[in-house]
Amino acid sequence: MAAWDTESTGVIPVQRMRPGDHAFVSYEDDEGPWGVLTAFAWTGLGRGEKVMLFPTPGLPESEVLDRLDAWGPAASAARRRGQIVLSSMRSLILPHRKFTPERQWEGITTETERAVREGYQGFRAYIDMHWVADLDADIETMLYRETHADHLFETAPYSEICAYDRRAFSGEVLDAMAAAHPRNLLERLGSLRVVHADDGVVRLTGDADLATRAEFTAALKAAMARTPVAGRLLVDLTDLNFLGVGCAADLLLVAERAEGGRRIEVRCDAFQARTLRRLGAGSNRRLAVAEAAGERLDRGVGGEPGDGPGEGLGEGSVQGRQR
Amino acid sequence: MRSDPRDLSGGDGAEEWLLECVFTGEDLPGLRVAVGECAASAGLKEPRWGEFVLAVNEIASNAIEHGGGRGCLTLRRRSGELECRIADDGPGFPESVIPELLPGLDGAHTGRGLWLARLVTDRLVIDGGAAGASEAMGEGGAPDGVQAVGAVVTLAIRV
Repeated sequence: MAAWDTESTGVIPVQRMRPGDHAFVSYEDDEGPWGVLTAFAWTGLGRGEKVMLFPTPGLPESEVLDRLDAWGPAASAARRRGQIVLSSMRSLILPHRKFTPERQWEGITTETERAVREGYQGFRAYIDMHWVADLDADIETMLYRETHADHLFETAPYSEICAYDRRAFSGEVLDAMAAAHPRNLLERLGSLRVVHADDGVVRLTGDADLATRAEFTAALKAAMARTPVAGRLLVDLTDLNFLGVGCAADLLLVAERAEGGRRIEVRCDAFQARTLRRLGAGSNRRLAVAEAAGERLDRGVGGEPGDGPGEGLGEGSVQGRQR
Repeated sequence: MRSDPRDLSGGDGAEEWLLECVFTGEDLPGLRVAVGECAASAGLKEPRWGEFVLAVNEIASNAIEHGGGRGCLTLRRRSGELECRIADDGPGFPESVIPELLPGLDGAHTGRGLWLARLVTDRLVIDGGAAGASEAMGEGGAPDGVQAVGAVVTLAIRV
């Protein structure tokens, strides 16, 4: 199965990206990239990071700005103060005209260092890979770049999305590129991905909300039906970005109605555990909630330029700010 | 999602208009990101950050499910609060729809999202539209000719 297929493992929603993440995403039509792009930009604002966007070459800048602004005035304010920047691969490698991985790495390193000097918490780039044809780069060079870029992510608070239009690259190339990236992203913002593992585990990734509730609940029921009598079903929500009340209640209901001594263990983040407990998880004998270790960076953390270059991204770095 | 932001602060910082948008079901994920960014920028931290986003999501979902399939959200910062107002085109609903206690899992009781939204916010006010007016007027209901105006739910959290 293709690595970029939504059934593959190791996929996270864009909101779960952290500094140091190098992620692959693909899309199939002109509407495809916008949800991930805008969410990536906006979550960068919330975390006090500088955002550089490399959209499809030739795409009118006004279209990108309209998409960013559709969610509110924060994006335009961020552009005015230089926190969101639109660029191109051509610009990044100047004064050179021919692409080489080293020239691109140098450009990214320079921009990352500049962002840190300016006081941002990090630097993030969304790169639409149509630049490859625009600069007449070859696939082998690109694959080398993708598989030898770890140094960009290990030594600085840098994160990057490489977005591939499936109409422009072969399945073989997409497979290779997906495998070359440590992270693969859900293609659509707000989607839910379900993976039923053989070992009594169901993993739910993405958003569990009004739109995906039926899918969420059906996945839990199917997983429970496969759980042996007196067995335990592990519901892994550690890469679930959002858990709405309706889905949380359905999870509790599936556990409450478990028959034959079956039980559910939920592994989730602290906030999701708090939501489940508020809804009565503590009184459900067939349900155990375990908080997974690790912080979530999309949960009200971040900061404003000036909080201090290179400071941690923990909650203590948050500063209130006025727009 | 259509956005029409306005700055009502007058430059004195007393009131900031952060978001104003019409949304449908497909906009909810983006709406959560935008509200979350504004809440983070306003200084909210976990768990109140997540609770505010969750509460907004539940009210917006209610508008989509029961209020005509869409809503209008405005988010502003004023008087030490982050205030979100969500209006819909549905028949409206009275405040009594929100249960006093956490509803049990059995049965068809909806209102769990509204219950949690009220629990985790510092202020939640419902202008219930025609249905709310009908309840307020007693069994006689609203006068003839009164049209459904939809519900307006305001929720706020201190920042």
